[in-house]
Amino acid sequence: MVGLIFHADGAFFQWDTHRDMLRQISVFGILACGMTLVIICGGIDLAVGSLLGLTAVLFSLFSIHWAWPAAVAILVCLIVGFLLGAASGGLIARFSIQPFIATLAMMVLGRGLAKLVSGGQKISTAVQLQDGSYEYVEVPSILNTLGERVFDDNIAIVTLLLVGCILTLWAFLSFTRWGRYLYAIGGNEEAARLSGIPVAWMKTLSYALCGMFCALAGICQAAQELQGDPEAGVGYELTAIAIVVIGGTSLRGGTGSIWLTMLGILTIGYLEKILSINAIGEETRLILSGLIIVFAVLVQRRNPRFV
Amino acid sequence: MNGRIIFVFFLLALFTAMGVQGRQKQWIIGMSQCNLGEPWRVQMNADIKKAAEAHPNVSVVFKDAQNDNLRQSAHVGEFVRAGVDLIIISPKEAVPLTRPVREAYQKGIPVIVLDRKVQGNDFTCFIGADNKKIGRAAGKWIAALRGGEGNVVELKGLMTSTPGQDRHSGFREGIRSSAMKIVFEADMKWLEPNARKEMESALARYNAIDVVYAHNDPGAHGAYLAAKASGREASMTFIGIDGLPHEGQMYVKQGILSASFEYPTGGREAIETALSILNGRQVPKEITLKSRVFTGDNIDKGGALLEE
Repeated sequence: MVGLIFHADGAFFQWDTHRDMLRQISVFGILACGMTLVIICGGIDLAVGSLLGLTAVLFSLFSIHWAWPAAVAILVCLIVGFLLGAASGGLIARFSIQPFIATLAMMVLGRGLAKLVSGGQKISTAVQLQDGSYEYVEVPSILNTLGERVFDDNIAIVTLLLVGCILTLWAFLSFTRWGRYLYAIGGNEEAARLSGIPVAWMKTLSYALCGMFCALAGICQAAQELQGDPEAGVGYELTAIAIVVIGGTSLRGGTGSIWLTMLGILTIGYLEKILSINAIGEETRLILSGLIIVFAVLVQRRNPRFV
Repeated sequence: MNGRIIFVFFLLALFTAMGVQGRQKQWIIGMSQCNLGEPWRVQMNADIKKAAEAHPNVSVVFKDAQNDNLRQSAHVGEFVRAGVDLIIISPKEAVPLTRPVREAYQKGIPVIVLDRKVQGNDFTCFIGADNKKIGRAAGKWIAALRGGEGNVVELKGLMTSTPGQDRHSGFREGIRSSAMKIVFEADMKWLEPNARKEMESALARYNAIDVVYAHNDPGAHGAYLAAKASGREASMTFIGIDGLPHEGQMYVKQGILSASFEYPTGGREAIETALSILNGRQVPKEITLKSRVFTGDNIDKGGALLEE
């Protein structure tokens, strides 16, 4: 690995490389934030990739095609994410459907909605007219703004949003009663119920918040691509779960923290970046990624402080 | 007497109606698409739909196999049992779909195979384009534009897929006689976010990049966004393949890509060929689609045909 880093003509020692890595991983990181909440509460959410795709399409539709004000477009997307997340959560909490099944259903449903809304094509600045020809519209400023970099071009806005998500979640999980409830439910649901925690509500809330993070990630995805792709986010749920688990948060629930997730974000981010600047072939990348995930999990398990 | 006249008129009216119906025979075409998750295939279906709408006596039933060979195989069987007049299939893979296509063909249903082949000869007509030719044209075009020199970044679709391999080897053939050099190449799996990530890596490593050749237009667009974010897009030429109206053609129109090489869907040609077959005319066993190149100069005129 060290050999690889040094090999890339010194590209690893430029800040640009790290800045681009942070930009590229931000969307996954935001998804992983939501996933952390759900996993701490003892669940899993397979729908994050689809909800990202759906909200990317909706956000592009609202802001590019319908020219809605940015704030309204963002708000509506966040609400859609929240409601669809709450729907999965509700199925899990009220009807005792296993999280894997309920969110699998939401994953398929969300992808279907994304394709329905977009007609299967990317929502871009080419707007199809009645007669089948295309009219080209300007990119709304909100997309450009969100895709920009600030602080003397040194950090992407989407990365700052990720940092914001991490700090918010840290405060939520550590300093609020609801945050502690999530740990309690993930640790022992029955005990949590007996001690008077509103288990069903808290579970629903965790999925709803996760859905909202997905919506934010979808907005960021659309802003960076300058379009809404109904196929965006396919397979992202697995990356998000990998990030959380590599950090050291247990899939059994009740343990973990957002800082561990941040560790996972950096691990996956740097892994991909290093393989990429060295132009490693796809086959080798897949094999190395698999091995490094196992290695990372084993290493973090030997450190009982985090478990 | 009156009654008899009315009866004769009634018979006449009936025969006329039957005659009209006979002439206006309704054709039902079954279209089996392998995967509507790709914009290019969505466009293929849209082209078929549009071409069919021009013929009121043709109706097309679409099925999407969602990238699954066995599901697509079942769809062909369903069309046969439903008694469609003709089947158009854009198969996911040759080997698993050869048998269902052969069975339909041997039952006397004409089958048009679109874009990807099946094995053997048991189909009516194959319509497709040549990725290798298109890659070669792209290589020659860019070599001519840059005076035969320059550092190239190649963003490959997927080297385990035939289109990826052909677009790669064709391009290499196209630039072989020039002094152009490939400095960086990576698989971006046809996806824009991946292309952007790989391009960022290329930018971090090489100060002199002149040309970005991506195996599809979204890839070229992702590379452009990466170059733009580091303020280096103006010194580079971006080219891509596919040339869909709302992707490649739009990027050319906006000045993002210097050229997009069309990979035609063949949707319109499939319907035209289908009507020839249904009307009893002879059609060639294989039709190779002509492809166009879209550049800033010719985009408003609908592109220019590639010569080979």
